[in-house]
Amino acid sequence: MTEVFGRRPFLVLALLAAALLVVPFLPLNDYVLHILTVFLIFSVFATGWNLTLGILGLKTLGHHAFFAIGAYLSAITAYYGGVSPWLTVWVGALSAAAAGVFIGFPILRIRSMPHVAIVTLAFAEIVRLVFSNLKDITRGELGFWGIPPFDPITVGDMTVRFGIGNAVGSFALAAVFFLAVHLALLLLLTSRTGLTFLAIRDSETAAESLGIRLSAWKLFAFGVSAAVVGLSGAVYAHYVMILTPTSTAGPEMLITLLAMIIVGGVGRFFGPIAGALLLTVLSEVLREFGDFRMLLYGLVIIVFVFVAPHGIAGLRLGRLRKAERAEPGTAGAT
Amino acid sequence: MAEHLLDVNQVTVRFGGLVALDRVDLHVEPGRTTAILGPNGAGKTTLFNAVAGVVHPTSGAISLDGRDITKALPSRRSRDGIARTFQITQPFVGLTVRENVMVSIVSRGVAMREARDEAAEYVSFVGLGPKMDEPARTLSTGQRKRLELARALATKPRLLLLDEVTGGVDRPSIPEILDLIRRLRDERGITIVVVEHNMEVLFGLADDAVFLNRGEVVVTGSMAEVAEHEAVRRIYLGDGDA
Repeated sequence: MTEVFGRRPFLVLALLAAALLVVPFLPLNDYVLHILTVFLIFSVFATGWNLTLGILGLKTLGHHAFFAIGAYLSAITAYYGGVSPWLTVWVGALSAAAAGVFIGFPILRIRSMPHVAIVTLAFAEIVRLVFSNLKDITRGELGFWGIPPFDPITVGDMTVRFGIGNAVGSFALAAVFFLAVHLALLLLLTSRTGLTFLAIRDSETAAESLGIRLSAWKLFAFGVSAAVVGLSGAVYAHYVMILTPTSTAGPEMLITLLAMIIVGGVGRFFGPIAGALLLTVLSEVLREFGDFRMLLYGLVIIVFVFVAPHGIAGLRLGRLRKAERAEPGTAGAT
Repeated sequence: MAEHLLDVNQVTVRFGGLVALDRVDLHVEPGRTTAILGPNGAGKTTLFNAVAGVVHPTSGAISLDGRDITKALPSRRSRDGIARTFQITQPFVGLTVRENVMVSIVSRGVAMREARDEAAEYVSFVGLGPKMDEPARTLSTGQRKRLELARALATKPRLLLLDEVTGGVDRPSIPEILDLIRRLRDERGITIVVVEHNMEVLFGLADDAVFLNRGEVVVTGSMAEVAEHEAVRRIYLGDGDA
């Protein structure tokens, strides 16, 4: 499993935690903290999606639907029900998980990956249209505004506030969320669960012949993956405090997140984090190019895919593979 | 225990209009090695897949130790004691040799730490000890065949299905693999069904045999009896006078 997690994944996560701990003490303005907060939330989104796309090996293209479901369900429950977002984010995550298991059933019957991609893509479009047309509740494309931020936390004399406009508190919350989700997934995936997912990815037929119940494991993977993505959507909703169906479940979200995973490294645990950091920052850096921004953004992605087909996380692995190929006699002996 | 470990009774498999197997019978006694012979397109692999659960019979029944498994999924059959290897090897290329074998062990409910130690025993048994923690993608064809054998053994099978176990393996390595298979039968009492083109290999391995042609059983009996049959001699031994 070294290929997916590296040799010391928990050490890497600890180093990331240390880096995030330092950030609030750096002389960074609110705009930079906002960019980092978005990066952390999208990292969780990308990692959750990578669970089915890269680690289980199912070419799903509809995870932005789970992001939208998590975001809207949490926002609606908090806005109309007056429930604290600290609780409603779990409503969002569970709703997304239920949707994941629901769409997982038909996918179990499909062996062709292009068809899996089409079905999941269609599912995302249905979700976008549903939220667009539920105008009485979501206000459609006009935007669902007034979403409450997370309730403030008071520690002694200090009150930490969240939501857009409260950069330090929001960054801290996103950092804790990022670390907690990645730690939980790392614990899950370095156990028999990860071993089973990777076996299914490499050969479903062989895995099943060794006693693995394909349907149960795939549904479980779908549920967990959708829950993580839904949770990231819910945290996003209470951070930006306004949602539109297209900004959450539209094609731009699909392409952005897919690019993060591909550039970072499909099937590498830390790949999507690297991809999310690079592309979130790049997207902001390119703003000064005005109308040429998305053109340049796309160009960078294309160049990156040619230069590093296994993504950022696969760069070192690529060198190792070349060394393996260069070593004479390795594959010849029986 | 039933008289036969495996019973295939009047199994027919149709793919659309094509009849791949036509009322095939196969009875395998415990502790013996049975060969499935036949020319290309005879239905050997289809019969093999029907026993493994990858293909479901259109009619007929399959039972293991007297228990009907005709509709059981491959994962269920694995837990019941059927293990298999593949003609075209299917290693989990993203995992190491040890991790490949661990997949079989953890699917039995064994914890990861114990599975690591247990996997090492199977890997060493098939002679891949020096490759223990190397990625499976770096193995040669022969090594992959051994890995599949280790993986299958780790499920603790009663019935082992070997599909072209020497296919693609360089000739000097074949005796080692055959010796390994004989040890499985003699030391561990595993019943083996083998699909193999190489008659030389089968003579040194199989007790019983069944010869298929165009999806039908032509002859069944001991390996020596089947090898003497006119159709077998014509196809396998190139005996034009037979």
